[in-house]
Amino acid sequence: MTEKLLDKAIVGQVQEVFNQLQEPVEVLFFGQKDGCDYCEDALQLAQEIVDISDKLSLVVYDLDENAEVANLYNVDKAPGMVLAGRDGDQLKDYGVRYAGIPSGHEFSSLIHDLVLVSSRDSGLEQKTREFLKGVSKPVLLQVFVTPT
Amino acid sequence: MLAHQMALESPMVQAEMVEAMEFPDLSNRHHVSGVPQTTINDGAGAVVGAVPEAHLVAEIQRALQSA
Repeated sequence: MTEKLLDKAIVGQVQEVFNQLQEPVEVLFFGQKDGCDYCEDALQLAQEIVDISDKLSLVVYDLDENAEVANLYNVDKAPGMVLAGRDGDQLKDYGVRYAGIPSGHEFSSLIHDLVLVSSRDSGLEQKTREFLKGVSKPVLLQVFVTPT
Repeated sequence: MLAHQMALESPMVQAEMVEAMEFPDLSNRHHVSGVPQTTINDGAGAVVGAVPEAHLVAEIQRALQSA
């Protein structure tokens, strides 16, 4: 049996945060066969996280073998993850993505992002929402982080 | 995360958290020194550090105007 990445204490804390989950969220995981040092751990981490709540599900793709799906979700890095809203058998892509394994501080970002997508509400200030309503050109935000 | 909140709010916005050490070429190209660093439209704008909403909004505005 593979050793778990998340110990019982962490799972308990995550469970507490996941009490706030509302609507279902599907995690689309994209791995790659060659040259992906972190894919295995990232997939295991994603699996352990979605196992904590029945409002979360995981579907696994390969960046090369499932290139059309990757293109559809604008995923070009492995390990990559998309947090999509699930509504019945429909998926809604909000453009919420992760590239790389979310460990350290980013682990808690991922947990809170799952709750965010589940709420279907950005929680942004009114002024920010109004600004975003007026944005008519595509905006790609890439947030670089380190695992410390 | 603020960028992800914006992605959720607007169909025009996509936000990707990038683990800098795993993707060094991309990080070097965007001169990532401090984290978190938010890069807008492949370098049209950038913000270093965790900033208030209004600050990121202003930088997005600036990046879109200069495009």
